[in-house]
Amino acid sequence: MISLREVSKTVISGAEPLTILHPLSLDIDRGQFIAIVGPSGSGKSTLLGLIAGLDAPSSGAVAIDGVDITRLGEDALAKLRGEKIGFVFQFFHLIPSLTAFENVAVPMEIAGARDARQRAQRLLDEVGLTGRAHHYPSQLSGGEQQRVALARALANNPPILLADEPTGNLDSANGRHIMELFRDIHRSRGTTIVLVTHDADLASLADARLSLRDGRVVERT
Amino acid sequence: MRFVLGMAVRETRASWQRLIFFFVCIAVGVAAIVALRSVIRSVRDVLGGEARSLIAADALISTTRDWTPTARSTIDRRLADAGSTARTETIETPTMVRPSDSSKVAARMVELKAIQPGFPLYGSLTLEGGQPYSHALLEHHGALVRPELLSALGVNVGDSIAIGTTNFVIRGVVANEPGRNLGALSLGPRVFVDFDDMPSTQLLIFGSRARRVVLARVPDNTLDDMVSALNQDFSDDYINARSYRATDDAIGRDFDRAENYLSLVGLVIVILGGIAVSSVTRVFVLQKIRAIAVLKCLGASSRQIIAVYVLQVVSLGLAGSLLGVGIARLALAGIPLALGPTSTSLLAQVHYTVDWRIALQGITIGVLVSLLFSLVPLLEVRRVKPSLLLRDETRRPGRDVARIAAMVFVSAALIAVAAWQAASLRAGLVVCVGFAALAFVLLLAGRLLVRMITPMANAPSFPLRHAVLHLSRPGNQTRVILLAVGLGAFFIVGVRSLQSSLLDEFNLQVSADSADMFLLDIQRNQVDEMRQFLADATNGAGSSRLIPVLRARITGVSGRVTTLDSFEDVRARGSLAREYTVTYRDHLEANEKVVDGRFWNGPSSEPEVSVEKGLHERFAINIGDVVRFDILGRTINARVTSIRDVDFKDARAGGFVFVFRPGALEQAPQTYIAPLKGPDDANARAVFQHKLVAKFPNVSVIDFHEILATVRDVMSKVTLAITVVGGLVLFSGALILIGAVAMTKFQRVYEAAVFKTLGANTRTIAKMLLFEYGVLGLLAGAVGSAGAVALTWGVSRYALDIPWKVFPAEHLAGVGLTTALVAAIGVLSSLDVLRNKPLATLRAE
Repeated sequence: MISLREVSKTVISGAEPLTILHPLSLDIDRGQFIAIVGPSGSGKSTLLGLIAGLDAPSSGAVAIDGVDITRLGEDALAKLRGEKIGFVFQFFHLIPSLTAFENVAVPMEIAGARDARQRAQRLLDEVGLTGRAHHYPSQLSGGEQQRVALARALANNPPILLADEPTGNLDSANGRHIMELFRDIHRSRGTTIVLVTHDADLASLADARLSLRDGRVVERT
Repeated sequence: MRFVLGMAVRETRASWQRLIFFFVCIAVGVAAIVALRSVIRSVRDVLGGEARSLIAADALISTTRDWTPTARSTIDRRLADAGSTARTETIETPTMVRPSDSSKVAARMVELKAIQPGFPLYGSLTLEGGQPYSHALLEHHGALVRPELLSALGVNVGDSIAIGTTNFVIRGVVANEPGRNLGALSLGPRVFVDFDDMPSTQLLIFGSRARRVVLARVPDNTLDDMVSALNQDFSDDYINARSYRATDDAIGRDFDRAENYLSLVGLVIVILGGIAVSSVTRVFVLQKIRAIAVLKCLGASSRQIIAVYVLQVVSLGLAGSLLGVGIARLALAGIPLALGPTSTSLLAQVHYTVDWRIALQGITIGVLVSLLFSLVPLLEVRRVKPSLLLRDETRRPGRDVARIAAMVFVSAALIAVAAWQAASLRAGLVVCVGFAALAFVLLLAGRLLVRMITPMANAPSFPLRHAVLHLSRPGNQTRVILLAVGLGAFFIVGVRSLQSSLLDEFNLQVSADSADMFLLDIQRNQVDEMRQFLADATNGAGSSRLIPVLRARITGVSGRVTTLDSFEDVRARGSLAREYTVTYRDHLEANEKVVDGRFWNGPSSEPEVSVEKGLHERFAINIGDVVRFDILGRTINARVTSIRDVDFKDARAGGFVFVFRPGALEQAPQTYIAPLKGPDDANARAVFQHKLVAKFPNVSVIDFHEILATVRDVMSKVTLAITVVGGLVLFSGALILIGAVAMTKFQRVYEAAVFKTLGANTRTIAKMLLFEYGVLGLLAGAVGSAGAVALTWGVSRYALDIPWKVFPAEHLAGVGLTTALVAAIGVLSSLDVLRNKPLATLRAE
């Protein structure tokens, strides 16, 4: 489903080029749950961004369902993300001026779904936030915000879910709750999940693990 | 579309408080345009529909000479051919009036009008106190006067006044006469007498400035032809015919000009609002960058996101414009209240309304300006990358072709809007280019000043150091505040300085040795007696002399450059064809100097004339040219032998465009004028005038002190109007300032939180704010005041032709007040920055 071929990423840091990710190739099958682990600065988040089309590789190609996304323009990428990819960030990145309900509804509205309101309510029920739907992010705890972010990521029923340190900003109790949600999603929907994490417990939920260090793959299990 | 609409509503809901100044700025500008245009339109509706009433007839035929039998028969014939249904005649002349009771020592210049029973043919003459007007009130030496004459002479209804050599009884007080309120400046209050009583006043003597008018009612379908035919018949005579339509057209043109000029002023205010919009939008987009990145991550395209904010801008622009229309309506409703129920001025008779077309125009401009000024900042949305959420990367500026194209488009669109408002592409271009140039100069000056104070970043005072650093930090509002507040200070200080210059200039003219009174219409046979009267010290007159004057018209020029063979050719040159008052003498006056040729010495039988420099330059009449004059029917060909530069502001000897060499005109019928220094004391002046008019009833007295008082009054009203507009500009600037402070408050709150955790107390942070805004205000005031100095120089030199003067006190006051205003607003708007607890702020980050 997701295919990376000799993908690398180099940025200019000051006056010097800095290789964040050395050329790597990777195949992720449909329905697979893969965890990407590694220390800070190993290139995990960069790899995730390349898969999501949030960033462009310096070399190589990324294909999703056979479509080379590195050749797509910004608007086509946005459309792809809306249809096929859900993203959960470490710092939630909810839109502060929208309620929890509205945050979840936004991707469906972008896609032109007519039943956005009903589906948004259902998703919030799924993540256990029925009574908090009309609160603003500033009125929610970290755990609640991340659950809203997860509901938002699932809004258009994407076949792919990407998560960048989803429990990195949560306490252990909330972190476990999020872990359970990821597990349930994988089991019930068969969603392909690519998860970047430091959390060993969360990584243990995955079918496969990819370890990175200094921008290189050091282990695949 | 649902997404775009939904997001626009939600974004507005979340940020309306931050954006409130956005639409208040637009509202102020739209209110200015709608109110100013509506006032003009409302006044025009009254006057435009009443042109007939303004001239009290369909057609006017007028002359400053006696009607000749030929002229009368021509007029009779033309009126009969045109099917005229009514006619009446009037005679108007300025003259002196005094109480018949010699114990009342007073005299006053009035505008005397002798009327026949049919007057007016349109409109009505109304009297005070509900007294019905009837021509019978004027018969047998009755008079109707304006109320101000009663108080000036200390008389009442029933008392007698002397006009010329005859006494008239005041039988009523005039409340309103058709067409009277149009003039801004009149020589004196109106007095009506019976047409048949006019000869008895002995004012219709040689040299009198009386204007004789035939008023006629003529059917519309023959009116224009009749007027054209009459003007053709009298092309070489001192007779002019016009219709109410010419008045209508003239009024229409004047009102068009006024409306377009004032709406341009309103547009400048809207543009200032637009600058606020641009600033607000820029900061708004900066604050929304993460949200925009998230939306792109969720599948929204740049186009969809831009559409959200464009919709928000349009909605706010529309809301602001509607608010502006509401403010305009309130302002218009307040005009009658401000004028008072007893006001008899024209403005009090107008019904002020906001025409829906003007409202629509104002709303369109408000929305357009909002859109145009937010377009360029909104384009930044395209450059927001969703990878920002993963990596905090700085966006490289790069060259953005779309941004440059948008700026070009916005500039062109603004010029188009200005041209639309001014009804002239040229005027629109001038306004836009002038505004841009002014803004550029202000910004450049501001940048220079900021650089100059940068060394203060090393000052020992912590608050001062950081205040100076803040002026040039990323995302600062320095430019916008300098521009908006600086512009307001520029207008207000500039206008007030100009006013002081003009008043100062006028004051100079009535200095110790200057003539401050002019006597007119002195007959030849009165010269000796007048000299004796003026020489008699008991009468109180200072130095004086009598100057002979004649009225002349140019009927041809044979010159090196200019050749005009007939009066028609002269008429084609516009003002050259007017009637001139000429004199003859063998010396130059103190306010003249020869700039070309040679002034004569002694009389000559060959007519020679000296020409004023301005006329020589305007019409290319040069040394050696021969100018043909018609003086009371006699043709005189005079050779130009010198060009004089005349200081018309020095009134000691008047100012003559043409001065003849003695020898040619002594025998021609002429009158005399006498500039003189009147008594200093106001009572003594009144006594002098009274005695003079009692002895010489046909002589008119123009008192400069009264004229200057009237001129000062008019000038102060004009200055007030301009100052009000400048005040509106400054008010807009203040709003922009408040908006700018509000928009960057989030930054200040965060900084204040960090400073507080590092040990700074509330007082220190307050000082930082005070210094920062104080310095900004100082810069804006300094830049605005410096610009005002340049403005007064340019206007004094090129428009008003008066000496340029600087009034340091006004400029310093301008700088001081601007500094205080900006500092006060800046600190007051940031009070919650001082009050917020740091932890909550840092956690939110």
